[in-house]
Amino acid sequence: MNPRLALMLVTSLILMAVGILSAINSTAASTTPTWEDAVLEAKRGDYRLLTTAEVQKLYENRTPGLLLVDTRQEWEHRTGHIAGSVNFSMEPTAWARWTKRGELEKLLGPDKDRPVVFY
Amino acid sequence: MAVSLGYKNVYRDPKGFPDWQAAGLPVETSPVASSTAQTTTVPGPLSGWAMVWTLLGIFVGGMALNLTPCVYPLIPITVSYFGGRSDQSGSLVGHGLLYMMGLALTNSALGVGAALTGGMMGAMLQNPAVLIGISLLLVAFATSLFGFWELRLPIALTRVASKSHAGYFGTFFMGLTLGVVAAPCLGPFVLGLLTWVAGMGSAWIGFAVFFTLSLGLGLPLFVLAMFSGRIEKLPRSGEWMIWVRKLMGWVLVGMAAYFIRPLLSESAAVLTLSAVALAAGLHLGWIDKARAGFATFKYIKTAVGLLAIGVAIVLTGSWLVRGPGVGWQQYSQALLDEATATKKPVIIDFSATWCTPCRELDEKTFHDPTVVRMSEDGFVMIKVDLTRSGNAEYERLVSEYEVKGVPTVIFIDARGRERRDLRLVDYLPPDPFVQRMENLKTMNEE
Repeated sequence: MNPRLALMLVTSLILMAVGILSAINSTAASTTPTWEDAVLEAKRGDYRLLTTAEVQKLYENRTPGLLLVDTRQEWEHRTGHIAGSVNFSMEPTAWARWTKRGELEKLLGPDKDRPVVFY
Repeated sequence: MAVSLGYKNVYRDPKGFPDWQAAGLPVETSPVASSTAQTTTVPGPLSGWAMVWTLLGIFVGGMALNLTPCVYPLIPITVSYFGGRSDQSGSLVGHGLLYMMGLALTNSALGVGAALTGGMMGAMLQNPAVLIGISLLLVAFATSLFGFWELRLPIALTRVASKSHAGYFGTFFMGLTLGVVAAPCLGPFVLGLLTWVAGMGSAWIGFAVFFTLSLGLGLPLFVLAMFSGRIEKLPRSGEWMIWVRKLMGWVLVGMAAYFIRPLLSESAAVLTLSAVALAAGLHLGWIDKARAGFATFKYIKTAVGLLAIGVAIVLTGSWLVRGPGVGWQQYSQALLDEATATKKPVIIDFSATWCTPCRELDEKTFHDPTVVRMSEDGFVMIKVDLTRSGNAEYERLVSEYEVKGVPTVIFIDARGRERRDLRLVDYLPPDPFVQRMENLKTMNEE
């Protein structure tokens, strides 16, 4: 292996390692997200947004199969959550989305049509 | 994510809980698992998979020791010893096992010895002078492996040890003494390992480490003894074995860098370790021009070089992308008074740069995003650095709060009273730490 090739390889390895590490661990937005950000994200993730009033309607109508999922940290859930919701801590990172797939599927159950609301 | 799993009615309420709570809709809380109930089982320095991987590494290290020049001539000796024995009474396998046991016994005795004195050494390892001493010793042994000087045993001892004895006992004795004969070569690595085992302070780990090392060292010899006819297939000894010695040398330099880590600032420690890995990679992979008669050696060399450079990159990389830490403030009485006046809870961290759990607390817990976020939300965070003694005010604090050692983290509620039940005197992972912070805060609101 000639030295120039080795140098190039090392440099690209460094860049790749830094890039991968930051991409995996970075969250989508570091500032407080606005409603517009949420709309954009929803379009990308192909899910729909609800306002709290709409969730309230679903909740009070006792919609069959409704599942409320609290994606905040476990301690946040503990100090207070919507009555009847379950906790599934998710950091908004690619890494968490990848590793927690199986766990989430188990939580949501086999019924693919049930309404699921994340908050 | 739920969409990609095939669920059709997926919704999200971005405002979620705050809005819900503000609207006065039904809310529930789960009772906090009382903080006294959590008996955080502190795992030993090595447990579970870490232990398995470490032992596996040591086993491979033991096998690699067979490639150093001093052991290499012992391979044909072993083989001829076993070859001559096969027609005598007793099975070859039995002799081979005894041989390995003898070897394991010598090495394990050394390991347990180091671990038993380790209690004393553990206390000494907090002392900067000792840490520097150990590192210098390791580097000195490493230079021996690099070939700058030769570590030797008295010749008379070598001769007595290599004399052959008859019967099973003879085989056992051969095993016992093999380590002694090979000591000039194994010495640097084994002594480095001894110092490290002493640092772990557990006799059991000492035994396990050295038993595994001996098994690794003995296994190829055992296999060779069984199939002694194939000896000529071995690569001829040459420059490449000196290269293996250099590899062992770099392992020792890495251990030395690990030992002085507590003395350096965090960034300096990371940079030192990376620099060692980088230097090792460049030296072993490209600068060292060792050649061997077989082609794979070239690839092994490059692979080891790239691996070491990869380690350097990962070390610096993970350090570079790490988020911000807790914003600590210097202690002052005015700050404490102000906190009490504004009814803010206070967390005081007594630490010192040379203390390993403090460092761990700082690197993991106090850089955890949740802890950082919570600390900015109404907490007063104060750090008291006890690295240098002689600060009268700090000493007054130490006696006032009855701080027995570092780390000590004390939690003071909004009314200015310490919550003794929350006090920390060891490393605590981020999650339980958040629970304590939360506990401190909710008690405030009552």
